[in-house]
Amino acid sequence: MRRLPVYLLLDCSGSMFGEPIEAVKNGVQVLVSTLRQDPYALETAFLSIITFDSNARQVTPLTELSAFQQPSIQANGCTALGEALALLAQKADQEVTKTTTEKKGDWKPLVFIMTDGEPTDDLNKGLAEFRKCKWGMVVACAAGAGANTDTLKKITECVVSLDTADSATIKAFFKWVSASVSSGSMKVEETGTEANSLSELPPPPPEVNIVV
Amino acid sequence: MDRRDRLASRHSNTVAGLNETARMLRRAMLSAGMPSSEQEAFLDWAVGSLWNTFKQQRMNQRTAIEDEIRGLGLRFPNGTVKKDYSVHFELPVGRISDVEIDGAEELGLLVSVGDDGKCTLSGRPRKAGDFTLTLRYTTVEGEPASELPIPVAFNPDPRDLWKNIPTDPEIPYYKPDSETRYLKVEARDGGARKDIVAASQRGRSHAQEGKARDDHFSLYHCDASDWYIIAVADGAGSARYSRKGSEAACRAAVDHCKALLLDNPAFESAIREYQADRDSREKRTVLTRHVIDIVYNGAMKAHEAVKKVAEANEEAKLKDFATTLMFAVCKKYDFGWFVASFWVGDGAMCLYDERSKTVKLLGTPDEGEFSGQTRFLTMPEIFRDPEAVAKRLRMAIVPDFTALFLMTDGVSDPMFETDRNLNDYAKWEEFYARLRGGFPDDGIEGVDLSDDNEAAKDQLLRWLDFWSPGNHDDRTIAILY
Repeated sequence: MRRLPVYLLLDCSGSMFGEPIEAVKNGVQVLVSTLRQDPYALETAFLSIITFDSNARQVTPLTELSAFQQPSIQANGCTALGEALALLAQKADQEVTKTTTEKKGDWKPLVFIMTDGEPTDDLNKGLAEFRKCKWGMVVACAAGAGANTDTLKKITECVVSLDTADSATIKAFFKWVSASVSSGSMKVEETGTEANSLSELPPPPPEVNIVV
Repeated sequence: MDRRDRLASRHSNTVAGLNETARMLRRAMLSAGMPSSEQEAFLDWAVGSLWNTFKQQRMNQRTAIEDEIRGLGLRFPNGTVKKDYSVHFELPVGRISDVEIDGAEELGLLVSVGDDGKCTLSGRPRKAGDFTLTLRYTTVEGEPASELPIPVAFNPDPRDLWKNIPTDPEIPYYKPDSETRYLKVEARDGGARKDIVAASQRGRSHAQEGKARDDHFSLYHCDASDWYIIAVADGAGSARYSRKGSEAACRAAVDHCKALLLDNPAFESAIREYQADRDSREKRTVLTRHVIDIVYNGAMKAHEAVKKVAEANEEAKLKDFATTLMFAVCKKYDFGWFVASFWVGDGAMCLYDERSKTVKLLGTPDEGEFSGQTRFLTMPEIFRDPEAVAKRLRMAIVPDFTALFLMTDGVSDPMFETDRNLNDYAKWEEFYARLRGGFPDDGIEGVDLSDDNEAAKDQLLRWLDFWSPGNHDDRTIAILY
């Protein structure tokens, strides 16, 4: 079966402590329980979570939705986004099945990155690794005023921003991520191709602004 | 002694005992140098502070045990609704007692706690969703029961999530959500003749949204000439009227071939002459010219037919009717079977023969590096390049075959996955076994492909409902056997 891998890269630096990180945890929970109700997503979407603070770690390896369990997430430390991108590239290389003549591989991964600050490590090093892999849609989200959308534009064309990192806004973002995964898993089934631009995703809610 | 006397005697004994204790306490306090005016205050303080220490100690003990239980990191794996669920875990029963799990029963689960601390939570979850179970237990006598919430999630059965919304019969170019046909060709001159069975089933992804089936097939057998004609088409998912495109294409191709095959002595003798002298280039060219007339022009006619339908619709374009098309004409001779075919798009068309253990793919599926980027009959370039056209045409003479299959990618994708597998006899053998054996685990029966079995058409339709995650396209298959 061709899986649709979905990678979430979540900023868990100290500035996320309190309300934002609780909202993120809640968002992941809601994302998973919503997608489990969608027959396309339940069958095809696989989810992995990479968190980054002073280091990056994969807290959930690529897992089918039906077996997904909420990882423990805490906020502290700096913002090692570069390391997170490198780890993402490494994990995707290991976890995503490539197409061979005998077997159709997985669909190209969907990636959602959420950060509330500037990277504190060498972003370019991570970017170099990241660019070596083939991605489907990559969406980067600047949560609150502390994040720099110009930095995120280096990672992907598709950048969105949240005015504030409060729980209602973060919740709206995760709802949109969930709708995007739903429509992405339906699209691969219906048309045999992955979504490639923001216009192919469901329209974001008012809390999520598209950065042009 | 009567009852009242007994009570009175017990009372006086108790009073005597208490007096004795009080005397001892007073003596002890006196010898410690405590003035009698302070004695009462001291007693209040002593009892109060000891009681607090006692309570504190008990609570500490409870907290320590609670930490220990939390430290076990008890997590329950996710289950699936109405499927057997069972999880084993161990609790330190020497340290805790009165263990129960709140909420398990409502979910349809039973808890058993063994004397050795080995516990089981099992049953068939009643409903899907995210739930929280509460592990309740007693740590220390006199302390309130301790609680530990443990989340557990039960997935819905993906099959329950697929809806089956009928297609609105009022839509333009409506067609039924499924279709079957059995074309029975009776034995003649004492010899059984092959039959055709075909079925087409709307995919779950279309059923989910009440969208129409885009696939189509047409079958024909000419009694006078004994030619079989089979066409299968897969309307493009992205084209809004492709259901009509596939229908028009199948019909036009079959109609064209039908007319040219009814009485065509020149073609018949070209086949015989080529068979008699297979090395002759000249005879091959003559035969090829006939095949072009019949099969290639059949494809052209199909293209034109779709174009005509599109032109008749003012608000639509040709690409709204995009469809693939594969069709074959075949006839049995005393020397074997002659087969000629045309194929544009994905799916699979193949001669499968168990006796010689061979498969002959009648063309190559049009599938680029990326899935879903197939070619369509409606693309004008299909007919522009003569070399490309030649690749789409096939002609074969074989002694016999077990089955000629024509199928859309809704069947071939889940069954074969890649183009390479389509050329692998072992994969076709597996496919044929699945076709006849069904999918017992999913309660889907096989298809009985014995001669003149008209029930095969309904069996085939039910078989098309096979379960393959991520593969929910329309499914159409035609079998000449």
